[in-house]
Amino acid sequence: MKEERIKQITNQVVEQFRRSGYDVDAKEISKRLMLLIYEFKVPESEAIRTVKNWLIKELEIPKEKLVAEAPLVKIADITKPGQWVSLKAKVVQLWDSSSPSVSQVGLIGDETGMIKFVIWAKSGKGEVEEGKSYLFRNIVTDSFQGRMQVYITRTSDIVEIEEDIQIPPREIEVVGALVAIQQNSGLIQRCKLCRRVMTKGICPIHGKVEGYDDLRIKGVLDDGENFYEIILNEENIKALTGIDLEKAKQIAAERLDRNAVLSELKSQLLGRYLKVRGTRGGRYLIVNEVEFLKGIDKAEIEKLIEEVAA
Amino acid sequence: MNGVRRREIAKRIFAYEFNRSTHRIKPEEDKAPVYVLTPLGMRCNRVFVVGALLDKDEIKPDSGIWRIRVADPTGAFFGYVGRFQPDALESLMEIEPPELVAIVAKIGVFERDGRLFVSLRPESISVVDSETRDYWIYETALKTLERIKRMELKKDEDCKLAWQIYNPNLNEFRQMVKQALASLKEEFELIEEIEEEELKERKEIEEVEFEKLKEKDELEEFEEEFEFEEEEWDLSDILGE
Ligand SMILES: [Zn+2]
Repeated sequence: MKEERIKQITNQVVEQFRRSGYDVDAKEISKRLMLLIYEFKVPESEAIRTVKNWLIKELEIPKEKLVAEAPLVKIADITKPGQWVSLKAKVVQLWDSSSPSVSQVGLIGDETGMIKFVIWAKSGKGEVEEGKSYLFRNIVTDSFQGRMQVYITRTSDIVEIEEDIQIPPREIEVVGALVAIQQNSGLIQRCKLCRRVMTKGICPIHGKVEGYDDLRIKGVLDDGENFYEIILNEENIKALTGIDLEKAKQIAAERLDRNAVLSELKSQLLGRYLKVRGTRGGRYLIVNEVEFLKGIDKAEIEKLIEEVAA
Repeated sequence: MNGVRRREIAKRIFAYEFNRSTHRIKPEEDKAPVYVLTPLGMRCNRVFVVGALLDKDEIKPDSGIWRIRVADPTGAFFGYVGRFQPDALESLMEIEPPELVAIVAKIGVFERDGRLFVSLRPESISVVDSETRDYWIYETALKTLERIKRMELKKDEDCKLAWQIYNPNLNEFRQMVKQALASLKEEFELIEEIEEEELKERKEIEEVEFEKLKEKDELEEFEEEFEFEEEEWDLSDILGE
């Protein structure tokens, strides 16, 4: 475990220097990190800083050289964790984040694909907006649950660009059963400042602030082979159930319970087959269109029966 | 990275194949999920079932644990719903059988005299229409036929294991699928001759396993509540500088 961790940090240090054109001795770095972290019990971040400073002195590297710009790549090129890259990409979707260490999380895309991004709160970078294109400079790749993602850290830059990055429609159609509807679905409240979903009147970032009502479902569509996490917005929900925000508020008022809306939606949707047309982005399916599945083709059944008989 | 375990897929399986699943695959590492291996070589831990809820009975008065029986064209699933499945329990209380229901369930297992008995531990139960049921039969037939094909080809380790353990008669399973598909064509009588024997046996097991039924089942223990806002490892300290 220890070794694993040290190896990980060492690789990051080595990679950062390699990026600036310096080959450094991984063995020596590991040795120093091991000593600092496990012998001297120095916090990791301090140990890393110490080792980096030592390398800078040792190699007589001018400090500004070390933050050399990472190469501009396409999303499809990102296949390995721990790489420093730059990307020109459009913000496709922003997700909710309950973690105070995350400023923003969502999906960005370019001509070649889509990837999840995380802007750490500590990075101090400005917020991005859905639909706008940016140059993300010096961001770092990572893999999480088998999928690539990128982090925007303190050494990164986000610059809005004029160019409108084109994302090819990669629409797919999925027929699956809605096997789960998460909490935080139904008639929800969003923070007026950041639109994040509030829990019991509290925004994960802004605390107790004023909110506004919204209708949405976070759910899981399962076709027996794969599962797709989907978010249905007010429009989607209305198309399926006839319940819009106004109606939802009315239900909540009549039954004196906001949860009554979620119960109602669950009883109408859970365990039903939905046909969803959407764009695949990581584990998420971004819903463009959704409807209940309508019947089966009788000819298909005949065909199957013949197949079995044969 | 240790994190949230990947969500288990809800497998489609007819009662006939399900009830003949008597082999459990023990996890290789400590916290890995437990799977049941079916006679057609499928590992499953969660299922999605649509059928007719035939009855619900509290297994002992005031035990708060309900036995349900849900029939598809090939047989009937047994299931148990208790306080560890609050959503399912809430819905079940509102449903008067017979009624068509869709159930998402983890698989519960009892062992008795060296034999494994499987049952449903529903996470959710909802009333659905006959179109949903029909599509489920169609989809399950399709997937079962795929499994039969894989078994013929002895495609992977699980198929080989299934041959070794069950040595299944594939024709019997083909007939079962055919029967299910036929039900889509005409009005179809549910097989009610079921299982007086099986029910008796279940009741005996429940007697012995009553305490276990009151607890969370081993197959559902480990998967964490799946959430979108997955907590991630904050690398900003290391990568920042
Ligand atoms: Zn806020």
